[in-house]
Amino acid sequence: MIYEKKELPGKVQKIGFLLTGLGLVLVLVSYLVDPKREAFNNVIGLMFFASIALGALVLVALEYLSGAVWSTPFRRISEFIASSLPLVLLFAVPLFFAMHSIFHWTHTDVVSADKILSAKTPYLNIPFFIGRTVGVLALFYIFYLLFRRNSKKQDETKDQKLTKTNVNLSAVFMFFAGIGLTVLVVDWVMSLEPHWFSTILGIYFISATLLAGLAATTYAAVSLNEGGYLGVKVGKDNYYSFGALLFAITNFWAYVAFSQFLLIWYANIPEETFWFIARWEGGWKYISILLMIIRFAVPYAMLLSQPSKSDPKNLKRVSIVILAAHFFDLYWLIMPTFSKTITFSFYEIGFPVLVIGLIVLVFYAQAKKNNILPVGDPKLQRGLDFHL
Amino acid sequence: MSTIDYTQELPTVEGKPSAQSIDDVISKPLDTKPGNLWKILITITSLMLLVGGGALGWTFYKGIGVWGNNNPVGWGFDIVNFVFWVGIGHAGTLISAVLFLLRQRWRTGIARFAEAMTIFAVMCAGIFPAIHTGRAWLDGYLFPYPNANNIWVNFTSPLLWDVFAVSTYFTVSAIFWYVGLMPDFATLRDRTTNTLKKNIYSILSLGWRHSSRHWQHYEKAYMILAGFATPLVLSVHTIVSFDFAVSVIPGWHTTIFPPYFVAGAVFSGFAMVQNVLIFVRQAFNLKHIITIGHLEKMNQVMLLVGTMVGYAYAMEFFVAWYSGNQFETFTFINRALGPYAWAYWTMVSCNVIFPQLFWIKKIRTTILPMFILGVVVNIGMWFERFVIIVTSLSRDYLPSSWGMYTPTIYDLGILMFSFGLFFTNVLLFVRALPAVSIAEVKAVVDGAQPSHKGGHH
Repeated sequence: MIYEKKELPGKVQKIGFLLTGLGLVLVLVSYLVDPKREAFNNVIGLMFFASIALGALVLVALEYLSGAVWSTPFRRISEFIASSLPLVLLFAVPLFFAMHSIFHWTHTDVVSADKILSAKTPYLNIPFFIGRTVGVLALFYIFYLLFRRNSKKQDETKDQKLTKTNVNLSAVFMFFAGIGLTVLVVDWVMSLEPHWFSTILGIYFISATLLAGLAATTYAAVSLNEGGYLGVKVGKDNYYSFGALLFAITNFWAYVAFSQFLLIWYANIPEETFWFIARWEGGWKYISILLMIIRFAVPYAMLLSQPSKSDPKNLKRVSIVILAAHFFDLYWLIMPTFSKTITFSFYEIGFPVLVIGLIVLVFYAQAKKNNILPVGDPKLQRGLDFHL
Repeated sequence: MSTIDYTQELPTVEGKPSAQSIDDVISKPLDTKPGNLWKILITITSLMLLVGGGALGWTFYKGIGVWGNNNPVGWGFDIVNFVFWVGIGHAGTLISAVLFLLRQRWRTGIARFAEAMTIFAVMCAGIFPAIHTGRAWLDGYLFPYPNANNIWVNFTSPLLWDVFAVSTYFTVSAIFWYVGLMPDFATLRDRTTNTLKKNIYSILSLGWRHSSRHWQHYEKAYMILAGFATPLVLSVHTIVSFDFAVSVIPGWHTTIFPPYFVAGAVFSGFAMVQNVLIFVRQAFNLKHIITIGHLEKMNQVMLLVGTMVGYAYAMEFFVAWYSGNQFETFTFINRALGPYAWAYWTMVSCNVIFPQLFWIKKIRTTILPMFILGVVVNIGMWFERFVIIVTSLSRDYLPSSWGMYTPTIYDLGILMFSFGLFFTNVLLFVRALPAVSIAEVKAVVDGAQPSHKGGHH
């Protein structure tokens, strides 16, 4: 196989700059107008960004662990997306200064008057909280750097041992990924309502993260391959697994979300139900219903039939639907703490636009510097020959 | 450590056995008279079945008062064993349907056997809710049908959903299993010289002639059934978990239960399949078809799901504290330090600590340690159900109504009965039906599939 590197069109960078600029302006203006509201949106932005970048990194690890070959030609794409991890931390920094306006449990007077909240202070306190977020994101970045180093070295040396090293690394990474993602969602979502608790929320976010990373990778992979930017043409059979996985994880997300709802609704204990009531009253029910439709029913219908799972146009469309639904999911998880009645306006637009813009820019820069195809990967030829 | 060549797909079947030799080796147990080992084993398992059946008969005669169940511990061995066996029954469909959808070709050697175990395990599981009702002869009323007394089931109870879930699961698993068996029945029909056998196989094969049109339909049907079976696998143990999680009992009502139960079920199921396969591949010379590589992959799956179970334990413990709910917190402290602490720590060490040894490749690929770990996991998973059910019931809200639970000899007898039933079925199965799918194994032999690289293989 002869690999010829093909540059991405400059248009991609322009779009990246445009989105980043637009997002940045919106975010700054919103922060000036309503800092509290924008801080909540910042949490959404942080989780949105984190889930796409981390989801992509988890995909890299999954490929190594499972020994999959269909995805090998696309693995760099996930690596490029994951390389934006340091920027995720940047999104958390402003929040470390705005914690007082977001988190109820940072108000010492409230906590000291509340027996339950004061019992939580060994976990919910500002230094530990910041330490956890920084620690988790830093740990993920270190894993990313290790994966990346081996993967890049392999481009030249074609050394099979590097694959083995990354397989071992993946096993360890998956362990920490599970814990790290749970810590992130407990801290940034569950502790928004410090009285509320749900043991499944970690799995809820893990499935959402996988879906976000996979949707972003699918979109980029299909676009690049259809445009011929991979340097080689990868067959359509490789797409099938994107569709099948998106379908499977969409179902899994729905399963987890429904389980959480059913158990809380059925047991009907006020210390749990108030969280769902807050997501039903004040107009929030429209978002609850919307989620059922766009996060489950629509992707389900779009991916059910076998041919639709490998249709490039359909895959790109469904990826966008899933990413949009993921944003609304986070909005639904986070915003009801800010406002009892539903609100949606330009404040909410800034962060997702900024996140997408930054990912596009990072992707462009990475694609310029590196081979888009992992040319030294021993599984690459098998991946290119892949047939269902 | 041996180096893996990532540029090549690992062969699913070792060597390059001819189609004839695959037919011969897989159908040998069906064509020959059983050896002494098999006779000894079936004697033991039938005895377990008989003696355990005595305990069951005594229960029918005297009533379930002979069990250890009491007030407050109204669910004892009956429900522990039910959940245990349903869990064992999960590996089969996971291997045959989920791994099929994931295009894991290594499943071919073990799928048939695992499916059979699913069916037997669900049969064992079904006994317990049936006898737990107290008057098993009235169990017909579990099914909602119009009757003269106008007695209806409670549709809002997960106990009823169990009836639907388990019976649907059993039906679909059995159909899936049978569809997979059809081509093999045809092969057996064509091989055998015995007229009686030929007639039976002819009927069972439903006129299968291995034509390409048959295969085309077969593959479609198999794919659709796999698609149906996959959500079913998840739903069955999910609904079993609902039996507990919809309640307000501390330690039962927690939202992680559905995926946690499913992971635990897969965990115990894989352990059981791995254990039995180790014997089968040895006894029937199937080492080149059920390779060490397959067993290693099963062990890796066990490591993965075992760690997920560990995650669930940790999450439950953390949230019990984090919730600030005194009853939740107490329940978990009571599990770890209370009178049933021995059961709790058996569970944690068997399910979370010891399986970590599977990180070591040597242990994953050596028969004896992996077998021991498989047994350990099954013990641990049985205790998991015991811990969940008994500790939560024995000490709930009111200390004045606390009580301890001790199983009686009849509880143990019925547990033995279920093991006897399971293993008797397994032993009969390996003599009556091909334990490995003949047709599917032929399709994964090196060179059986067209190569897209142009004669590389």
